[in-house]
Amino acid sequence: MKSFTILVLVVLLAGVAAAQNERATNVRDITIYVSPGGNSQKMADMPRGVELTIAERNNNSQTDPYCKVSGSPNPESSAPAVTGWTSCKPLVTASTPNADEVIFGEAVNSEQQAQQRRGRKGAAQDALRLYSRVADIVPNSPIAGEALWRAADIRWQLAKSGNHKPIDDSYMKDVIKRFPGTKWADLAAYEMLDNVLCDDSNGLPDCPLKESAAYEKYAQEHPKSPKAPDALYNAAMRQAAVADMYRVSRTQRDQSPAAHSKALALTQQLLSQYPEWAPRAQNLIYRLQQNIPVYAVHVEQKPE
Amino acid sequence: MMLRLITTFVLTGLLFGSLGTMRAQEKEHGTVIGDAMMYVSPDVQSQRVGLASRGRDVFLMCRSNIDGKPWAHVLVVVETGLETGTPSNREVSGWADARLFITTSTPNGDQIIFGEAEDSERQADLGTRRHALEDAMRLYYRLQEYFPKSPLAGEAYWRAADLRWQLEKSGVLMRPSATEMSPDAREQIDDETMHDMMKKFPGTRWAQLGDYDLIDNKLCGSWKDEAKCPEKESQLYERYAHDHPQSPKAAEALYNAAWRQGALVEIYKRDNERDKSEKARRRGIEIAQELATRYPEGDWKPRALSLIFSLQQGLPTYTAGQGGFGKNPER
Repeated sequence: MKSFTILVLVVLLAGVAAAQNERATNVRDITIYVSPGGNSQKMADMPRGVELTIAERNNNSQTDPYCKVSGSPNPESSAPAVTGWTSCKPLVTASTPNADEVIFGEAVNSEQQAQQRRGRKGAAQDALRLYSRVADIVPNSPIAGEALWRAADIRWQLAKSGNHKPIDDSYMKDVIKRFPGTKWADLAAYEMLDNVLCDDSNGLPDCPLKESAAYEKYAQEHPKSPKAPDALYNAAMRQAAVADMYRVSRTQRDQSPAAHSKALALTQQLLSQYPEWAPRAQNLIYRLQQNIPVYAVHVEQKPE
Repeated sequence: MMLRLITTFVLTGLLFGSLGTMRAQEKEHGTVIGDAMMYVSPDVQSQRVGLASRGRDVFLMCRSNIDGKPWAHVLVVVETGLETGTPSNREVSGWADARLFITTSTPNGDQIIFGEAEDSERQADLGTRRHALEDAMRLYYRLQEYFPKSPLAGEAYWRAADLRWQLEKSGVLMRPSATEMSPDAREQIDDETMHDMMKKFPGTRWAQLGDYDLIDNKLCGSWKDEAKCPEKESQLYERYAHDHPQSPKAAEALYNAAWRQGALVEIYKRDNERDKSEKARRRGIEIAQELATRYPEGDWKPRALSLIFSLQQGLPTYTAGQGGFGKNPER
């Protein structure tokens, strides 16, 4: 009897501790104060999507509910964590109804803001953090894979726009590892092809040949990927460009027909496997059949 | 002003000043899928008479094969004087590379033109070719003009009309009158092409998409933080969603309606109209719940649930100065 009572007590205490150290994130920018209520000394501001731990709740009827939280005010620079009080209202925890979708929805809103001309400053980073929090707070959510992919994609696009090549692919690899065989893993693998692409082909066939092979391999390995037709089209375009390059070359002119045939075969494959791409495939087939050059228009084009 | 005049001229002149109406009975009509230099005679050494760019309206008079190279004698509508600000359309005849002309007799002509238009649209997105968006617009327009029975005709016409709409819209937004409260106080986006598309393809998803674009002309330039604009706009979007429940834009319309109710919560609160604020809050939640239930796919359900959470928690979803044409979440 005594041992049973101890066991119950242990279980109850563990439950209380868990409740008091709940993982959370904020779907609005928040301010951290020394004590509950907005009149005390301000400690820090935090942007949306910070990784937070709720240590205590204060349900004083005089004010809005306040929560004692810990988190880093500048998550990107791994600044030291701050512990203080903030309004509980914008905090989402695993016990919030539809927590995963609420966080995901706010991330989509932030992403939309980032795309607008006069959008909120830092909105892309907000979206990135919020998407990352979905899997942290609701690990078994059916949208956890998509959220992790979107976070990795935003990170990738930000690095790409900053010309940081090779782009750090650890987040993409994490998507592939945690959600293998999914659409998100397929998309991550496609994004990683960016690191294979040349910055400038200098009009030589080596680069488009290498890129064409990479795209073709992707299409073969990920036939169900939403990016498989893009990959096939990019592979065909690069082969067509190579055919044009060989045609004007003094020493490699005889290799042009083979590249031309390869481009045509890839485009036919695109047409038969992905009928929704028929217009672009038919357009390329026509150009190839009529020997209309594609190089100088497309070969420098980065993947879409 | 001059830019606006030129844009309007180019858009209307090149889309509608077509040879199609003039020579509807002639045998080979079509368009061009790459920049085609035109010469006085079928010889690249002869005098150049003009450049036919993608999507131009073409009447192909004859074909000829000279020294193994295919030539076409064509009549093309080209615009001149854009640089000097006195644009005019004129017909130019000459000889050009025949391979670049797609006519009604080209096998899969509709798909080839559509593919070229898609390619141009993507190049415009990537910024890799100047005037690629205008090229795409003209190519889509030609497709529906010369291949009206094509299964791609409706989508092509919608895309042409939408591209034109977006180009005109960006022009309207650049003008000082764009921030006027009343939509009547600013120049309206020309809806002639859109209406023509909707008339030709009634009851289709393309017509529904066209109807959604038309809402732009009814939105306030700036809300000036007054309630009447979001009230009216919320109704407009809700009505659209209920009139076109199958439209690809129905979910977005419901979100816009709900989001405006969320904005009204703050506007009424600031005006100390607590009852109206509470009513708007409840209405916003209702519309967002309808959105989450009816359109559970894609991003709309999470966005609806996020809005519901904010409204239930009393978190502001609108900040002063945020409302108006071109400022709201989706448009």
